Amino acid sequence: MTFVTIVALLSVLVGTLLAVSLRSVLHAVFCLALSLAGVACLFLLLDSPFVATMQILVYVGGISVAMVFAVMMSRSPKASMQSERLGHRILGVSVAVPFFGVVGWILLHTDFAVAPERAEGAGSVVEIGRDLLTHYNLVFELLSLALLVAIMGAILLTSRDDSEEASE
Amino acid sequence: MTLDLHAFLLLSLMLFSMGLYAVVARQNLIALLIGVELMLNGANVSFLAFNHYVAPDPAVGKTIVLFVIGLAAAEAAIALSIVIAVYRQRAAIRIGELTDLKG
Repeated sequence: MTFVTIVALLSVLVGTLLAVSLRSVLHAVFCLALSLAGVACLFLLLDSPFVATMQILVYVGGISVAMVFAVMMSRSPKASMQSERLGHRILGVSVAVPFFGVVGWILLHTDFAVAPERAEGAGSVVEIGRDLLTHYNLVFELLSLALLVAIMGAILLTSRDDSEEASE
Repeated sequence: MTLDLHAFLLLSLMLFSMGLYAVVARQNLIALLIGVELMLNGANVSFLAFNHYVAPDPAVGKTIVLFVIGLAAAEAAIALSIVIAVYRQRAAIRIGELTDLKG
């Protein structure tokens, strides 16, 4: 068991458990960042260093930080520290555990076909880039459009207009 | 011990189930968003695991995961700005208090 494997398993398991169970939302976001970094290590183990880099850049560097900012800007002591009512926890467990059990049972009882032999250098960054700009070009452009709309929408949603400020 | 396909799939299922629990049980909007991100990551892990062990063309899964990461970034930006807008309007981001559209 290599070092990367141990780091990946530990950070994914511990980070995820804490991210969904900690009462303080800010701490939960930090544990989410740990878990996402662990997922990046899993991507390294799966022979995809480029995707792992993107995972670190976008998730750990971008989304987690944006979440921390959102927590800071929307923090009211009573809202961020109250724990869930017991009923919600029971409901959550009663949804998640049967799901895990059923899908896990199916997974363990399925034999997946093994991949055929691959050419040298298949799945490299060069190949991903060529795919993105030829076969998946339409999806690529649509995604950039969606990102643009999301950025504009985020700015519009969070900017105060003058009438709002006057009423405060 | 090295991880095989089933280990990776179980890990991804674990991530997805934890995210599902957070979406159902947590009452804070940002904590709910954490659950959604965990579910997306679970799906990504299973995509790459199948891509590495099963798929004949190893570039497809990576491309799809890149698309998912891009969409998740857009989704997080919109969701977080909605959270901030809701907080500005009523100083509360607990789900139980947002019942205006309830019939």
